[in-house]
Amino acid sequence: MNVAWRIARRELRGGLTGFRVFLACLALGVAAIAAVGSVRESIEAGISEQGAVILGGDASVELTYRRASEADLAYLKSIADEVGEVIDFRSMATLPDGSDRALTQVKAVDGAWPIYGEAVLDPAIPLDQALGNQDGLPGAVLDPLLIDRLELSIGDTVRLGTQDFRVSAALVRAPDSAGGGFDFGPPTLVLTEALAGSGLISEGTLFDSEYRLRLPPGSDLAALKSATETAMEGSAPRWRDARDGAPGVSEFVDRLGSFLVLVGLAGLAVGGVGISAAVRAYLETKTEVIATLKTLGASRRTIMATYAIQIGVLTAIGLVAGLILGALIPLVAGPIITANLPIPADIAIRPGPLAEAALYGIIAAALFTLWPLARSENIRAAALFRDASLGAEGWPRPFWIVVTLALAALLVGTAALFSGMAEIALWSAFGIVVAFVLLVSAGRATRALSRRLARSGLARGRPSLRMALASVGGPGNEAASVVLSLGLGLSVLAAVGQVDNNLRGAIARDLPDIAPSFFVVDIQPDQIDPIRERVETDPAVSRMDAAPMLRGIITRINDRPAREVAGDHWVVTGDRGITYAADLPPRTKITEGDWWAEDYDGPPQISFVAEEAAEIGLSIGDTMTINILGREITATLASFRDVDFSSAAMNFTITMNPSALAGAPHSWLATIYAEPEAEAELLRDISRTYPNITMISVRDAIGRATDLMGTIAAAITYGALITLATGGVVLIGAAAAGVRARTYEAAILKTLGASRARILANFALRSAILGAAAGIVAVFAGGMAGWAVSTFVMRTSFVFEPVSAIAIVSGGIALTLAANLAFSLRPLAARPAQVLRARE
Amino acid sequence: MGNAGPVDILRGISLSVGRGETVGLTGPSGSGKSSLLMLMGGLERATSGRVAALGRDLGPMDEDALARFRRDHMGVVFQSFHLIPTMTAIENVATPLELAGAPDAFARAEAELAAVGLGHRSGHYPAQMSGGEQQRVALARAAVTRPEILLADEPTGNLDGSTGQAIMDLLFGLRDRHGATLVLVTHAPELAERCDRVIRIEDGLLAA
Repeated sequence: MNVAWRIARRELRGGLTGFRVFLACLALGVAAIAAVGSVRESIEAGISEQGAVILGGDASVELTYRRASEADLAYLKSIADEVGEVIDFRSMATLPDGSDRALTQVKAVDGAWPIYGEAVLDPAIPLDQALGNQDGLPGAVLDPLLIDRLELSIGDTVRLGTQDFRVSAALVRAPDSAGGGFDFGPPTLVLTEALAGSGLISEGTLFDSEYRLRLPPGSDLAALKSATETAMEGSAPRWRDARDGAPGVSEFVDRLGSFLVLVGLAGLAVGGVGISAAVRAYLETKTEVIATLKTLGASRRTIMATYAIQIGVLTAIGLVAGLILGALIPLVAGPIITANLPIPADIAIRPGPLAEAALYGIIAAALFTLWPLARSENIRAAALFRDASLGAEGWPRPFWIVVTLALAALLVGTAALFSGMAEIALWSAFGIVVAFVLLVSAGRATRALSRRLARSGLARGRPSLRMALASVGGPGNEAASVVLSLGLGLSVLAAVGQVDNNLRGAIARDLPDIAPSFFVVDIQPDQIDPIRERVETDPAVSRMDAAPMLRGIITRINDRPAREVAGDHWVVTGDRGITYAADLPPRTKITEGDWWAEDYDGPPQISFVAEEAAEIGLSIGDTMTINILGREITATLASFRDVDFSSAAMNFTITMNPSALAGAPHSWLATIYAEPEAEAELLRDISRTYPNITMISVRDAIGRATDLMGTIAAAITYGALITLATGGVVLIGAAAAGVRARTYEAAILKTLGASRARILANFALRSAILGAAAGIVAVFAGGMAGWAVSTFVMRTSFVFEPVSAIAIVSGGIALTLAANLAFSLRPLAARPAQVLRARE
Repeated sequence: MGNAGPVDILRGISLSVGRGETVGLTGPSGSGKSSLLMLMGGLERATSGRVAALGRDLGPMDEDALARFRRDHMGVVFQSFHLIPTMTAIENVATPLELAGAPDAFARAEAELAAVGLGHRSGHYPAQMSGGEQQRVALARAAVTRPEILLADEPTGNLDGSTGQAIMDLLFGLRDRHGATLVLVTHAPELAERCDRVIRIEDGLLAA
């Protein structure tokens, strides 16, 4: 080993010139993974440090559809130093003259809010002044989006239900704004007591109430959670605490971060192509040295060790560069990242993700350098005396093949372990391997096709084209390496493009046919008939469905706790919409059992959703206990129904016979199907006549969901761009390595009478052919991936989207052209005599 | 050039070669004979003086004009063959014809390859052929356009004796068939002797 180390040191004196691509590929891949991991951990650290602020208290107890009873409130006050109440519901913010309205998420608070953190208002006035009475009107603080949307100014009046409010400030930032889930509209902050005259919080309206607790220091959160769940059992409380202040957000960040690390690994795989090519090219120049060393008595082991040491030193340099870059990117981009996040991020150097990235880098470098390194064992001393065909050709020894496979398995295993999404990691690895095989085959096919075309009639009389095709189809590895390095990055981009476009397309395509224009909630029983009359006489409305709506929680199944029977099934994890009906509703199919008679008034019965019933293992005749507003109703399952939730039409998991729910306070829910152009008028008219009800435009709601999809697609696109950048480095490396060959070719062609323009055209054409091949393969692979994701994950129809496909192919051509033409100028300028005589 | 400063490789040479004549250029290594040949082919530019071929001054021509001139009037053969490694034998031979826009480039290239005895190797790449075979392909490539001028720079320098002899026979056979002017750079006096005239260069000067 000492000998190997000494020889390696002497060889490294030559400098790092031949290894720029090696270092760039490794550093870029490691930096990308390190940066993504660091940002993810910074966000998670921010969430955990600020958990209580995001949650709005040390703990929060949420009730659906009701406020806490005297007893519940007394209990909460007994465990907490301070209790604050927040009532949360959707409503319409209306101008007093009724000329305009917009959906808003009302947060009605008491004097305790916010228990932790500060609300940022514009103008910066104290909160109690902003919400208090002034000129006889209570104050309201509105989200700036809502102020813009309704063209309001500070001091103007806005109406919620039947109550007018004075707009006192804009809500720039609420400390607890990130903890909630998906809101339908921008928030409006008011005092709960000011809503007394609004008609908005009445029995049967849909609202959540949340009790934020400031607990004594050192409280045992886990113990309090179970104590509260027992003490308030009849109210079905949902407990959250500062241990995880924003579960939805942190899960989302975690998932997206892990996914981006996987995309980063794809980048490292592309970089691996460049790493492998660089090592191969380096060892090719060392054939004579290796043969000489063997002649002088060096063993295979010594030689392998000599070059492994050199690669090891280079890997260390690349890793350190990558880690420094990966640690710096989040720090430099920190202000931009925090400004774009609704949650606090504690941007800092994070050793954990850096170590993870280093581990990936080491395994990937070992994996991709081992093959060419092991092949150098095949170089024989006789290479010095005969031609170079005794060089590093063929397969390495079986031992090294096994080690290579083990390293690949280790890389995939590490990714599966660290990402926390083993299944997705394995599928991604499988996808990358398939893409590799596909791209290598495509590279070979491109070569074979080019060779064939070069000899066909197509190329006759077109010397530039013929020469370009002959070059792509000739000996050498350019086609395979360009298609591989560029293809993988372009494939990811193409897949994102296809999925994103299809999803948006599916919404635009399918929405008018299947989804209603509006969900109308909080319709009071006495309002449903006049609304039905107004809507059904409107020629622009094709259909209106309405049903009474209650919410309840399934507490027991067959007299056992529901969680025990159904586990974590979504049906039992929260409150569900419940309705009643005498007749079988239209478009409903009974799959098992019988619907009750129209005038049935016996013991309560339930018609349940068939698919979910099968998942939980329910049978006809089973009993189910449902807690509706604190009242427990036990009913028998009388029938199962088919329900398609994807149509966005009105559906209920549980339908009961009318007499079972007689007397329970409830509101009505309606869906209205109207022509798009009639929607605005309908919205204005109904919400003016019935100020208490809320109309949710499905188009807007889906638009918000689509925007969220767009954000995810953008994040993935950035990930794909890193892969593409690595591919670009490999491409530039290949182009730089080809300068000598191109210079030689240009000199010969000049001697034979080719003009510089013609030679340039030849070089450009071959780049274009390779770029187009990479692009076409990427579009094909991306299209397949897009189809699979659309069909199996998103469950939407798939239509091939040509615009992004054309962009991908053009991008591929442009990238290869740019990389290659930049390295064609020197060959083109070289004097033929000098070049040719240098080779004599 | 480096720090050593420019070196005058050729000095005060005045040489005229008649149409159809064969001229052998000999001299020791580094005497400037290959440089002279490169100047004649417009592959190198003279720092002073005048080079003319077929009555046309090569000096004012730009690089593309020189390339066109070679395409239409010259064939060049090198010691190291200089075939394009990414092209098969027939593609190498057809290239100058294609550059000239000949519609029957491949048919003529095939005939020329057959004429040098390589009709059966037309689909092979240079790396798959021996040195002698590669040089025969290079000869076919130089002759296929029927150039008025053939320039050969030590065409047997990288070949063994008998192969070199065969290549010379081919070269002179091609010249005789098409009546081109031939300028041949060689170390070997016996090869130079086959030319109409032998010129010796020493230290950048004409010696005889």
